[in-house]
Amino acid sequence: MGEICVTLTDIEGSVVEIEDGAEGETLMELARRHDVKGIIAECGGACSCATCHLYIDAAWSAAVGTPDPVEEDMLDMVEDIRRPTSRLSCQITLHPGLDGLIAEVAPEL
Amino acid sequence: MTIVRDAANDDTQARPGPEGEDARLVEEATLLDPVVHKQPRRFYAAMRKLDPVHYDAALDMYLVSRWEDIQTVQRDPLTFSVNKGYHTQQAKGFAEEFQQILREKGGGYFPDAIMSDPPYHTRVRKLMESAFTAHRVKDLEPRIEAVVDGLLAELADKGAMDAVTDFAQPLTIRIICEQLGLDWSIKDRIARWSTAVTAQIGRMQDREEMLGHAAQICELQRYLIAKMREREADPREDMISDIVHARDGEGEGSVLTFEEAVSLIRALLIAGNETTATALSNLVLILATEPAVAEMLRASADDDRLMNRFVEELLRIEPPVRGLSRMTTKEVELGGRMLPEGAHLLLLYASANDEPEIFPEPRRFDMERKNIMKHVSFGGGVHKCVGLALARMEIKVAARLLVRKFADVRLAIAEEDIAYLPTVATRSMESLPVTFTLND
Ligand code: HEM
Ligand code: FES
Repeated sequence: MGEICVTLTDIEGSVVEIEDGAEGETLMELARRHDVKGIIAECGGACSCATCHLYIDAAWSAAVGTPDPVEEDMLDMVEDIRRPTSRLSCQITLHPGLDGLIAEVAPEL
Repeated sequence: MTIVRDAANDDTQARPGPEGEDARLVEEATLLDPVVHKQPRRFYAAMRKLDPVHYDAALDMYLVSRWEDIQTVQRDPLTFSVNKGYHTQQAKGFAEEFQQILREKGGGYFPDAIMSDPPYHTRVRKLMESAFTAHRVKDLEPRIEAVVDGLLAELADKGAMDAVTDFAQPLTIRIICEQLGLDWSIKDRIARWSTAVTAQIGRMQDREEMLGHAAQICELQRYLIAKMREREADPREDMISDIVHARDGEGEGSVLTFEEAVSLIRALLIAGNETTATALSNLVLILATEPAVAEMLRASADDDRLMNRFVEELLRIEPPVRGLSRMTTKEVELGGRMLPEGAHLLLLYASANDEPEIFPEPRRFDMERKNIMKHVSFGGGVHKCVGLALARMEIKVAARLLVRKFADVRLAIAEEDIAYLPTVATRSMESLPVTFTLND
Protein backbone atom coordinates (compact mmCIF):
# COMPACT_ATOMS: atom_id res chain seq x y z
CA MET A 1 0.00 0.00 0.00
CA GLY A 2 2.70 2.46 0.99
CA GLU A 3 3.29 4.83 -1.87
CA ILE A 4 4.48 8.03 -0.22
CA CYS A 5 7.85 9.20 -1.53
CA VAL A 6 10.35 11.16 0.55
CA THR A 7 13.88 12.34 -0.08
CA LEU A 8 16.21 12.51 2.92
CA THR A 9 19.80 13.74 3.08
CA ASP A 10 21.57 11.67 5.74
CA ILE A 11 24.25 12.95 8.15
CA GLU A 12 27.00 11.98 5.77
CA GLY A 13 25.41 14.06 3.03
CA SER A 14 24.13 11.15 0.92
CA VAL A 15 20.72 11.58 -0.62
CA VAL A 16 18.34 8.72 0.10
CA GLU A 17 15.25 8.36 -2.10
CA ILE A 18 12.51 6.41 -0.37
CA GLU A 19 9.43 5.30 -2.28
CA ASP A 20 7.46 3.10 0.04
CA GLY A 21 6.26 5.40 2.79
CA ALA A 22 2.99 4.13 4.24
CA GLU A 23 0.17 6.36 5.37
CA GLY A 24 0.02 6.35 9.17
CA GLU A 25 3.64 5.42 9.84
CA THR A 26 5.93 8.10 11.19
CA LEU A 27 8.74 9.62 9.20
CA MET A 28 11.13 8.28 11.86
CA GLU A 29 9.85 4.72 11.39
CA LEU A 30 10.21 5.02 7.64
CA ALA A 31 13.75 6.36 7.96
CA ARG A 32 14.70 3.58 10.39
CA ARG A 33 13.29 0.98 8.02
CA HIS A 34 15.72 2.25 5.43
CA ASP A 35 18.60 2.69 7.89
CA VAL A 36 18.96 6.35 7.09
CA LYS A 37 22.19 7.38 8.81
CA GLY A 38 21.75 9.80 11.70
CA ILE A 39 18.17 8.88 12.55
CA ILE A 40 18.92 7.01 15.75
CA ALA A 41 15.58 7.28 17.54
CA GLU A 42 16.87 6.23 20.93
CA CYS A 43 13.52 6.66 22.65
CA GLY A 44 11.60 4.69 20.07
CA GLY A 45 9.35 7.58 19.10
CA ALA A 46 8.31 8.83 22.53
CA CYS A 47 9.33 12.42 21.77
CA SER A 48 11.92 12.35 24.51
CA CYS A 49 15.38 11.99 22.97
CA ALA A 50 15.73 14.31 19.95
CA THR A 51 17.87 11.76 18.09
CA CYS A 52 15.38 11.68 15.20
CA HIS A 53 15.84 15.37 14.48
CA LEU A 54 15.70 16.69 10.92
CA TYR A 55 15.41 19.93 9.01
CA ILE A 56 12.38 20.10 6.75
CA ASP A 57 12.99 21.68 3.35
CA ALA A 58 11.59 25.21 3.50
CA ALA A 59 9.12 24.51 0.68
CA TRP A 60 7.62 21.66 2.72
CA SER A 61 7.62 23.31 6.09
CA ALA A 62 4.02 24.54 5.93
CA ALA A 63 2.68 21.16 4.81
CA VAL A 64 4.47 19.39 7.64
CA GLY A 65 3.34 21.90 10.23
CA THR A 66 4.83 23.16 13.49
CA PRO A 67 5.82 21.19 16.59
CA ASP A 68 3.35 20.77 19.43
CA PRO A 69 4.38 21.99 22.92
CA VAL A 70 5.98 18.71 24.00
CA GLU A 71 8.10 18.55 20.86
CA GLU A 72 8.84 22.26 21.19
CA ASP A 73 10.31 21.66 24.66
CA MET A 74 12.50 18.91 23.30
CA LEU A 75 13.74 21.02 20.38
CA ASP A 76 14.46 23.86 22.77
CA MET A 77 17.03 21.66 24.48
CA VAL A 78 19.02 21.10 21.29
CA GLU A 79 19.26 24.81 20.58
CA ASP A 80 22.84 24.46 19.36
CA ILE A 81 21.72 22.51 16.29
CA ARG A 82 18.17 23.77 15.94
CA ARG A 83 17.01 25.59 12.81
CA PRO A 84 13.70 27.29 11.95
CA THR A 85 12.32 24.19 10.19
CA SER A 86 13.56 21.67 12.76
CA ARG A 87 11.21 18.79 13.54
CA LEU A 88 11.43 15.46 15.33
CA SER A 89 10.64 12.88 12.70
CA CYS A 90 8.87 10.59 15.17
CA GLN A 91 6.22 13.28 15.53
CA ILE A 92 5.45 13.48 11.81
CA THR A 93 2.84 11.00 10.64
CA LEU A 94 2.89 10.36 6.90
CA HIS A 95 -0.14 11.10 4.76
CA PRO A 96 -0.62 11.58 1.03
CA GLY A 97 -0.19 15.35 1.41
CA LEU A 98 3.44 14.72 2.28
CA ASP A 99 4.20 12.77 -0.91
CA GLY A 100 7.43 14.25 -2.29
CA LEU A 101 8.65 15.56 1.10
CA ILE A 102 12.27 16.69 1.28
CA ALA A 103 14.30 16.91 4.50
CA GLU A 104 17.82 16.77 5.84
CA VAL A 105 18.94 14.80 8.89
CA ALA A 106 20.33 17.06 11.64
CA PRO A 107 23.79 16.36 13.06
CA GLU A 108 24.03 14.04 16.06
CA LEU A 109 23.54 15.50 19.52
CA MET B 1 32.92 28.42 52.09
CA THR B 2 36.21 26.58 52.16
CA ILE B 3 35.04 22.99 52.42
CA VAL B 4 36.31 21.17 49.36
CA ARG B 5 33.38 19.25 48.14
CA ASP B 6 32.01 17.51 45.22
CA ALA B 7 28.61 19.04 44.75
CA ALA B 8 27.36 21.84 42.58
CA ASN B 9 29.58 24.85 42.13
CA ASP B 10 33.02 23.71 43.08
CA ASP B 11 34.64 23.92 39.70
CA THR B 12 38.12 23.01 40.87
CA GLN B 13 36.90 19.46 41.40
CA ALA B 14 36.09 19.03 37.74
CA ARG B 15 39.44 20.28 36.54
CA PRO B 16 42.67 18.35 36.63
CA GLY B 17 45.03 19.22 39.45
CA PRO B 18 48.82 19.66 39.34
CA GLU B 19 50.58 17.25 36.98
CA GLY B 20 52.28 15.12 39.63
CA GLU B 21 49.20 14.84 41.77
CA ASP B 22 47.08 13.72 38.82
CA ALA B 23 49.60 11.09 37.85
CA ARG B 24 49.58 9.81 41.40
CA LEU B 25 45.78 9.72 41.45
CA VAL B 26 45.59 7.76 38.24
CA GLU B 27 48.33 5.47 39.50
CA GLU B 28 46.95 4.83 42.97
CA ALA B 29 43.30 5.73 43.28
CA THR B 30 40.44 3.27 42.91
CA LEU B 31 36.69 3.79 42.90
CA LEU B 32 36.57 1.28 45.74
CA ASP B 33 38.35 3.74 48.01
CA PRO B 34 35.63 5.36 50.18
CA VAL B 35 37.27 8.78 49.92
CA VAL B 36 37.46 8.67 46.12
CA HIS B 37 33.99 7.15 46.08
CA LYS B 38 32.55 10.13 47.88
CA GLN B 39 34.39 12.78 45.87
CA PRO B 40 35.40 11.26 42.59
CA ARG B 41 35.54 14.33 40.36
CA ARG B 42 39.23 15.07 40.73
CA PHE B 43 40.00 11.43 39.95
CA TYR B 44 37.73 11.60 36.90
CA ALA B 45 39.42 14.75 35.65
CA ALA B 46 42.85 13.19 36.07
CA MET B 47 41.76 10.12 34.10
CA ARG B 48 40.23 12.18 31.31
CA LYS B 49 43.51 13.96 30.91
CA LEU B 50 46.06 11.19 31.43
CA ASP B 51 44.37 7.84 30.91
CA PRO B 52 40.82 8.14 29.54
CA VAL B 53 40.19 4.39 29.50
CA HIS B 54 41.79 3.56 32.81
CA TYR B 55 42.21 0.10 34.29
CA ASP B 56 41.12 0.13 37.92
CA ALA B 57 42.90 -2.93 39.27
CA ALA B 58 41.04 -3.11 42.59
CA LEU B 59 37.71 -3.08 40.75
CA ASP B 60 39.04 -5.14 37.85
CA MET B 61 37.27 -2.81 35.43
CA TYR B 62 38.21 -0.28 32.80
CA LEU B 63 36.83 3.13 33.70
CA VAL B 64 35.62 5.00 30.61
CA SER B 65 35.77 8.68 31.47
CA ARG B 66 35.39 10.67 28.24
CA TRP B 67 32.13 11.67 26.59
CA GLU B 68 33.33 10.63 23.14
CA ASP B 69 34.35 7.14 24.25
CA ILE B 70 31.14 6.61 26.21
CA GLN B 71 29.22 7.57 23.08
CA THR B 72 31.25 5.09 21.00
CA VAL B 73 30.41 2.32 23.47
CA GLN B 74 26.71 3.18 23.57
CA ARG B 75 26.45 3.26 19.80
CA ASP B 76 27.94 -0.22 19.37
CA PRO B 77 25.89 -2.54 21.58
CA LEU B 78 27.24 -5.69 19.96
CA THR B 79 30.93 -5.03 20.61
CA PHE B 80 30.17 -3.59 24.05
CA SER B 81 27.70 -6.02 25.51
CA VAL B 82 25.26 -5.21 28.29
CA ASN B 83 24.34 -8.85 28.54
CA LYS B 84 27.87 -10.00 29.34
CA GLY B 85 28.70 -6.92 31.42
CA TYR B 86 25.61 -7.22 33.55
CA HIS B 87 25.51 -10.91 34.14
CA THR B 88 29.14 -11.01 35.23
CA GLN B 89 28.33 -8.44 37.89
CA GLN B 90 25.16 -10.22 39.04
CA ALA B 91 25.63 -11.51 42.56
CA LYS B 92 29.35 -11.51 41.96
CA GLY B 93 30.96 -14.53 43.57
CA PHE B 94 27.73 -16.27 44.57
CA ALA B 95 25.83 -16.49 41.31
CA GLU B 96 24.96 -20.17 41.51
CA GLU B 97 23.79 -20.19 45.08
CA PHE B 98 21.82 -17.01 44.45
CA GLN B 99 20.01 -18.49 41.46
CA GLN B 100 19.27 -21.68 43.32
CA ILE B 101 17.56 -19.78 46.14
CA LEU B 102 15.42 -17.85 43.67
CA ARG B 103 14.36 -21.05 41.93
CA GLU B 104 13.43 -22.74 45.17
CA LYS B 105 11.74 -19.90 46.99
CA GLY B 106 11.10 -17.06 44.58
CA GLY B 107 8.99 -18.72 41.90
CA GLY B 108 11.97 -18.96 39.55
CA TYR B 109 15.21 -17.36 38.47
CA PHE B 110 14.29 -14.70 35.94
CA PRO B 111 17.35 -13.22 34.26
CA ASP B 112 16.86 -9.58 33.34
CA ALA B 113 15.47 -9.69 29.81
CA ILE B 114 16.22 -6.03 29.20
CA MET B 115 19.88 -6.45 30.17
CA SER B 116 20.57 -8.08 26.84
CA ASP B 117 21.97 -7.32 23.41
CA PRO B 118 20.31 -6.82 20.03
CA PRO B 119 18.54 -8.45 18.30
CA TYR B 120 16.95 -10.08 21.37
CA HIS B 121 17.01 -6.74 23.20
CA THR B 122 15.28 -4.98 20.30
CA ARG B 123 12.25 -7.23 20.57
CA VAL B 124 12.00 -7.06 24.37
CA ARG B 125 12.56 -3.32 24.42
CA LYS B 126 9.78 -2.72 21.91
CA LEU B 127 7.36 -4.78 23.97
CA MET B 128 8.44 -2.96 27.11
CA GLU B 129 7.90 0.42 25.49
CA SER B 130 4.23 -0.44 25.20
CA ALA B 131 4.00 0.28 28.94
CA PHE B 132 5.00 3.87 28.23
CA THR B 133 2.17 4.66 25.86
CA ALA B 134 1.68 8.24 24.80
CA HIS B 135 -1.50 8.73 26.74
CA ARG B 136 -0.03 7.30 29.92
CA VAL B 137 2.85 9.77 29.75
CA LYS B 138 0.40 12.58 29.07
CA ASP B 139 -1.64 11.59 32.10
CA LEU B 140 1.35 11.73 34.32
CA GLU B 141 1.47 15.36 35.26
CA PRO B 142 -1.80 15.79 37.17
CA ARG B 143 -1.42 12.44 38.87
CA ILE B 144 2.13 13.18 39.94
CA GLU B 145 1.04 16.59 41.16
CA ALA B 146 -1.57 14.98 43.36
CA VAL B 147 0.99 12.61 44.85
CA VAL B 148 3.58 15.34 45.50
CA ASP B 149 0.96 17.67 46.96
CA GLY B 150 -0.20 14.98 49.34
CA LEU B 151 3.30 14.15 50.48
CA LEU B 152 4.34 17.79 51.00
CA ALA B 153 1.16 18.43 52.98
CA GLU B 154 2.06 15.58 55.33
CA LEU B 155 5.54 17.00 55.87
CA ALA B 156 4.65 20.70 56.02
CA ASP B 157 3.91 21.04 59.73
CA LYS B 158 7.04 19.25 60.82
CA GLY B 159 9.49 21.90 59.64
CA ALA B 160 12.11 19.19 59.13
CA MET B 161 12.50 16.03 57.10
CA ASP B 162 14.96 13.48 55.89
CA ALA B 163 14.94 14.37 52.21
CA VAL B 164 15.88 10.82 51.26
CA THR B 165 13.59 8.69 53.42
CA ASP B 166 10.70 11.09 54.04
CA PHE B 167 10.55 12.75 50.66
CA ALA B 168 12.48 11.29 47.71
CA GLN B 169 11.94 7.59 48.31
CA PRO B 170 8.25 7.68 49.30
CA LEU B 171 7.52 9.95 46.38
CA THR B 172 9.08 7.75 43.71
CA ILE B 173 7.61 4.66 45.29
CA ARG B 174 4.10 6.09 45.36
CA ILE B 175 4.34 7.08 41.74
CA ILE B 176 5.75 3.85 40.42
CA CYS B 177 3.13 1.93 42.42
CA GLU B 178 0.45 4.02 40.85
CA GLN B 179 1.89 3.56 37.36
CA LEU B 180 2.27 -0.17 37.74
CA GLY B 181 -1.12 -0.49 39.41
CA LEU B 182 0.27 -1.85 42.66
CA ASP B 183 -1.21 -1.52 46.06
CA TRP B 184 0.44 1.29 47.87
CA SER B 185 0.44 -0.54 51.16
CA ILE B 186 3.58 -2.36 50.03
CA LYS B 187 5.64 0.84 50.26
CA ASP B 188 7.85 -0.31 53.10
CA ARG B 189 8.64 -3.56 51.41
CA ILE B 190 9.53 -1.82 48.13
CA ALA B 191 12.36 0.10 49.73
CA ARG B 192 13.84 -3.19 50.97
CA TRP B 193 13.24 -4.95 47.67
CA SER B 194 14.90 -2.12 45.79
CA THR B 195 18.01 -2.29 47.91
CA ALA B 196 18.18 -6.04 47.45
CA VAL B 197 17.86 -5.91 43.67
CA THR B 198 20.27 -3.01 43.17
CA ALA B 199 22.80 -4.68 45.42
CA GLN B 200 23.13 -7.41 42.80
CA ILE B 201 24.41 -4.94 40.23
CA GLY B 202 26.80 -2.60 41.91
CA ARG B 203 27.60 -3.66 45.38
CA MET B 204 30.38 -5.68 46.80
CA GLN B 205 28.15 -7.84 49.01
CA ASP B 206 29.40 -10.64 51.22
CA ARG B 207 27.65 -14.00 51.43
CA GLU B 208 25.63 -13.10 54.50
CA GLU B 209 24.27 -10.02 52.74
CA MET B 210 23.62 -11.95 49.55
CA LEU B 211 21.43 -14.40 51.50
CA GLY B 212 19.44 -11.56 53.03
CA HIS B 213 18.98 -9.93 49.64
CA ALA B 214 17.99 -13.18 47.99
CA ALA B 215 15.21 -13.65 50.56
CA GLN B 216 13.93 -10.17 49.74
CA ILE B 217 13.98 -10.83 46.02
CA CYS B 218 12.05 -14.07 46.54
CA GLU B 219 9.35 -12.16 48.39
CA LEU B 220 9.26 -9.51 45.67
CA GLN B 221 8.89 -12.07 42.90
CA ARG B 222 6.12 -13.97 44.65
CA TYR B 223 4.25 -10.71 45.10
CA LEU B 224 4.67 -9.65 41.47
CA ILE B 225 3.72 -13.03 40.09
CA ALA B 226 0.43 -12.93 42.01
CA LYS B 227 -0.33 -9.47 40.61
CA MET B 228 0.52 -10.58 37.09
CA ARG B 229 -1.87 -13.52 37.35
CA GLU B 230 -4.63 -11.10 38.34
CA ARG B 231 -3.92 -8.82 35.37
CA GLU B 232 -3.70 -11.71 32.97
CA ALA B 233 -7.31 -12.50 33.74
CA ASP B 234 -8.49 -8.96 34.26
CA PRO B 235 -6.49 -6.28 32.43
CA ARG B 236 -6.58 -2.74 33.76
CA GLU B 237 -5.19 0.64 32.80
CA ASP B 238 -1.72 0.10 34.27
CA MET B 239 1.80 -0.94 33.31
CA ILE B 240 1.56 -4.49 34.61
CA SER B 241 -1.41 -5.09 32.35
CA ASP B 242 0.48 -3.50 29.45
CA ILE B 243 3.48 -5.78 29.93
CA VAL B 244 1.45 -8.92 30.48
CA HIS B 245 -0.62 -8.25 27.37
CA ALA B 246 2.09 -6.59 25.25
CA ARG B 247 2.09 -7.72 21.63
CA ASP B 248 4.07 -6.68 18.57
CA GLY B 249 3.03 -8.34 15.33
CA GLU B 250 2.16 -12.02 15.03
CA GLY B 251 3.76 -15.38 15.61
CA GLU B 252 6.84 -16.43 17.52
CA GLY B 253 8.33 -13.76 19.75
CA SER B 254 5.40 -11.38 19.31
CA VAL B 255 4.54 -11.59 23.00
CA LEU B 256 6.70 -11.80 26.11
CA THR B 257 7.28 -15.11 27.84
CA PHE B 258 6.23 -15.31 31.46
CA GLU B 259 9.88 -15.25 32.60
CA GLU B 260 10.56 -12.16 30.52
CA ALA B 261 7.48 -10.39 31.81
CA VAL B 262 8.38 -11.02 35.47
CA SER B 263 11.87 -9.68 34.89
CA LEU B 264 10.60 -6.56 33.12
CA ILE B 265 8.05 -5.68 35.76
CA ARG B 266 10.70 -6.22 38.40
CA ALA B 267 13.00 -3.91 36.43
CA LEU B 268 10.35 -1.22 36.10
CA LEU B 269 9.59 -1.35 39.79
CA ILE B 270 13.25 -1.14 40.80
CA ALA B 271 15.13 0.70 38.04
CA GLY B 272 13.02 3.78 38.44
CA ASN B 273 13.17 4.01 42.21
CA GLU B 274 16.70 4.34 43.36
CA THR B 275 17.58 6.49 40.35
CA THR B 276 14.69 8.94 40.55
CA ALA B 277 14.87 9.08 44.34
CA THR B 278 18.55 9.93 44.02
CA ALA B 279 17.75 12.74 41.60
CA LEU B 280 15.17 14.13 44.03
CA SER B 281 17.59 13.93 46.96
CA ASN B 282 20.17 15.74 44.84
CA LEU B 283 17.55 18.38 44.16
CA VAL B 284 17.04 19.02 47.86
CA LEU B 285 20.78 19.03 48.50
CA ILE B 286 21.38 21.62 45.85
CA LEU B 287 18.53 23.81 47.12
CA ALA B 288 19.97 23.61 50.62
CA THR B 289 23.55 24.37 49.64
CA GLU B 290 23.30 26.62 46.58
CA PRO B 291 21.13 29.66 47.28
CA ALA B 292 21.65 30.89 43.72
CA VAL B 293 20.22 27.68 42.28
CA ALA B 294 17.31 27.80 44.72
CA GLU B 295 16.62 31.32 43.50
CA MET B 296 16.86 30.21 39.88
CA LEU B 297 14.32 27.51 40.53
CA ARG B 298 11.96 29.88 42.30
CA ALA B 299 12.10 32.21 39.31
CA SER B 300 11.48 29.34 36.87
CA ALA B 301 8.65 27.56 38.66
CA ASP B 302 5.88 28.95 36.48
CA ASP B 303 7.66 28.55 33.16
CA ASP B 304 7.53 25.09 31.65
CA ARG B 305 10.43 25.66 29.30
CA LEU B 306 12.68 26.79 32.13
CA MET B 307 11.54 23.94 34.34
CA ASN B 308 12.46 21.39 31.67
CA ARG B 309 15.88 22.95 31.41
CA PHE B 310 16.26 23.05 35.17
CA VAL B 311 15.64 19.31 35.35
CA GLU B 312 18.11 18.51 32.56
CA GLU B 313 20.82 20.63 34.16
CA LEU B 314 20.20 19.03 37.54
CA LEU B 315 20.63 15.61 35.95
CA ARG B 316 23.76 16.74 34.14
CA ILE B 317 25.47 18.30 37.12
CA GLU B 318 24.72 15.42 39.48
CA PRO B 319 23.90 12.23 37.56
CA PRO B 320 22.11 9.70 39.78
CA VAL B 321 23.66 6.73 38.02
CA ARG B 322 27.39 6.67 38.60
CA GLY B 323 28.16 4.14 35.97
CA LEU B 324 26.83 1.07 34.24
CA SER B 325 28.83 -1.72 32.80
CA ARG B 326 29.60 -3.31 29.48
CA MET B 327 31.82 -6.19 28.42
CA THR B 328 33.76 -6.36 25.17
CA THR B 329 32.85 -9.26 22.91
CA LYS B 330 36.05 -8.93 20.89
CA GLU B 331 39.35 -7.18 20.93
CA VAL B 332 38.70 -3.51 20.23
CA GLU B 333 40.33 -0.12 20.45
CA LEU B 334 38.75 2.50 22.66
CA GLY B 335 40.11 5.95 23.42
CA GLY B 336 43.55 4.97 22.15
CA ARG B 337 43.75 1.79 24.21
CA MET B 338 43.51 -1.79 22.97
CA LEU B 339 41.00 -3.72 25.03
CA PRO B 340 41.03 -7.51 25.06
CA GLU B 341 37.89 -9.56 24.57
CA GLY B 342 36.04 -9.90 27.86
CA ALA B 343 37.21 -6.55 29.23
CA HIS B 344 34.77 -5.22 31.78
CA LEU B 345 33.99 -1.51 31.38
CA LEU B 346 32.32 1.02 33.62
CA LEU B 347 30.86 4.06 31.86
CA LEU B 348 31.37 7.08 34.09
CA TYR B 349 28.47 9.36 33.25
CA ALA B 350 29.45 12.01 35.80
CA SER B 351 32.83 12.31 34.18
CA ALA B 352 31.42 12.77 30.67
CA ASN B 353 29.01 15.39 31.98
CA ASP B 354 31.95 17.31 33.42
CA GLU B 355 33.96 17.64 30.24
CA PRO B 356 34.73 21.34 29.90
CA GLU B 357 35.15 21.11 26.12
CA ILE B 358 31.48 20.10 25.84
CA PHE B 359 30.01 21.82 28.88
CA PRO B 360 32.03 24.99 29.56
CA GLU B 361 32.46 25.62 33.29
CA PRO B 362 30.94 22.25 34.00
CA ARG B 363 30.44 22.78 37.73
CA ARG B 364 28.34 25.86 37.08
CA PHE B 365 24.59 25.24 37.18
CA ASP B 366 23.65 26.83 33.87
CA MET B 367 20.12 26.27 32.62
CA GLU B 368 20.79 28.10 29.37
CA ARG B 369 23.32 25.66 27.95
CA LYS B 370 22.58 25.36 24.25
CA ASN B 371 23.50 21.68 24.18
CA ILE B 372 21.86 20.81 27.48
CA MET B 373 20.59 17.44 26.20
CA LYS B 374 24.09 16.23 25.50
CA HIS B 375 24.51 14.96 29.04
CA VAL B 376 24.64 11.18 29.33
CA SER B 377 22.81 10.76 32.63
CA PHE B 378 20.17 8.60 30.93
CA GLY B 379 22.75 6.62 28.98
CA GLY B 380 22.39 6.50 25.23
CA GLY B 381 21.97 4.27 22.22
CA VAL B 382 19.63 1.30 22.29
CA HIS B 383 19.77 1.05 26.08
CA LYS B 384 18.88 4.65 26.77
CA CYS B 385 16.64 4.90 29.80
CA VAL B 386 13.15 3.75 28.90
CA GLY B 387 11.65 5.59 31.88
CA LEU B 388 13.12 8.99 31.10
CA ALA B 389 9.85 10.78 30.41
CA LEU B 390 8.42 9.57 33.70
CA ALA B 391 11.62 10.49 35.55
CA ARG B 392 11.77 13.97 34.05
CA MET B 393 8.15 14.63 34.87
CA GLU B 394 8.54 13.47 38.47
CA ILE B 395 11.54 15.70 39.04
CA LYS B 396 9.90 18.66 37.36
CA VAL B 397 6.69 18.46 39.33
CA ALA B 398 8.50 17.79 42.61
CA ALA B 399 10.88 20.72 42.09
CA ARG B 400 8.07 23.08 41.18
CA LEU B 401 5.81 22.20 44.08
CA LEU B 402 8.65 21.99 46.57
CA VAL B 403 9.89 25.48 45.85
CA ARG B 404 6.39 26.90 45.90
CA LYS B 405 5.53 25.40 49.22
CA PHE B 406 8.81 25.25 51.18
CA ALA B 407 11.25 28.08 51.77
CA ASP B 408 14.66 28.33 53.31
CA VAL B 409 15.61 24.68 53.01
CA ARG B 410 18.78 24.09 55.06
CA LEU B 411 21.00 21.17 55.90
CA ALA B 412 20.55 19.89 59.43
CA ILE B 413 23.94 18.15 59.42
CA ALA B 414 27.36 19.28 58.25
CA GLU B 415 27.85 18.72 54.58
CA GLU B 416 30.97 16.60 55.10
CA ASP B 417 28.88 14.20 57.16
CA ILE B 418 26.57 13.21 54.33
CA ALA B 419 27.00 9.48 53.82
CA TYR B 420 26.75 7.77 50.45
CA LEU B 421 25.56 4.24 49.83
CA PRO B 422 28.43 1.86 49.16
CA THR B 423 27.46 0.93 45.63
CA VAL B 424 29.26 1.50 42.38
CA ALA B 425 26.04 1.70 40.36
CA THR B 426 24.37 4.77 41.81
CA ARG B 427 25.71 7.68 43.74
CA SER B 428 23.05 7.99 46.39
CA MET B 429 22.96 9.58 49.80
CA GLU B 430 21.86 7.37 52.66
CA SER B 431 20.14 10.19 54.46
CA LEU B 432 19.76 13.96 54.13
CA PRO B 433 18.24 15.72 57.14
CA VAL B 434 17.04 19.25 56.33
CA THR B 435 14.91 21.94 57.93
CA PHE B 436 12.57 24.32 56.12
CA THR B 437 9.94 26.97 56.61
CA LEU B 438 6.71 27.41 54.67
CA ASN B 439 5.87 30.02 52.07
CA ASP B 440 2.66 31.80 52.90
C1 HEM C 1 16.39 10.25 37.07
C2 HEM C 1 16.00 9.02 36.97
C3 HEM C 1 16.67 7.99 36.10
C4 HEM C 1 17.97 7.91 35.66
C5 HEM C 1 19.11 8.87 35.93
C6 HEM C 1 18.07 6.71 34.85
C7 HEM C 1 19.23 6.32 34.21
C8 HEM C 1 19.33 5.26 33.33
C9 HEM C 1 20.50 4.92 32.56
C10 HEM C 1 21.84 5.65 32.64
C11 HEM C 1 20.20 3.85 31.79
C12 HEM C 1 21.10 3.21 30.73
C13 HEM C 1 21.57 1.86 31.08
C14 HEM C 1 22.68 1.38 30.18
O1 HEM C 1 23.08 2.08 29.23
O2 HEM C 1 23.18 0.30 30.44
C15 HEM C 1 18.83 3.49 32.10
C16 HEM C 1 18.16 2.42 31.56
C17 HEM C 1 16.92 1.99 32.00
N1 HEM C 1 16.05 2.68 32.83
FE1 HEM C 1 16.43 4.42 33.74
N2 HEM C 1 16.86 6.08 34.82
C18 HEM C 1 15.97 6.82 35.56
C19 HEM C 1 14.63 6.55 35.77
C20 HEM C 1 13.98 5.43 35.31
C21 HEM C 1 12.58 5.13 35.52
C22 HEM C 1 11.59 6.04 36.23
C23 HEM C 1 12.35 3.89 34.96
C24 HEM C 1 11.11 3.06 34.87
C25 HEM C 1 9.96 3.33 35.34
C26 HEM C 1 13.61 3.44 34.38
C27 HEM C 1 13.79 2.25 33.73
C28 HEM C 1 14.92 1.91 33.01
C29 HEM C 1 15.07 0.67 32.28
C30 HEM C 1 14.07 -0.47 32.22
C31 HEM C 1 16.33 0.72 31.63
C32 HEM C 1 16.96 -0.34 30.71
C33 HEM C 1 16.71 0.05 29.29
C34 HEM C 1 17.42 -0.82 28.27
O3 HEM C 1 18.46 -1.42 28.58
O4 HEM C 1 16.92 -0.90 27.15
N3 HEM C 1 14.57 4.40 34.61
N4 HEM C 1 18.32 4.36 33.03
S1 FES D 1 12.62 9.05 18.49
FE1 FES D 1 13.11 10.00 20.36
S2 FES D 1 12.34 11.99 20.02
FE2 FES D 1 11.87 11.01 18.19
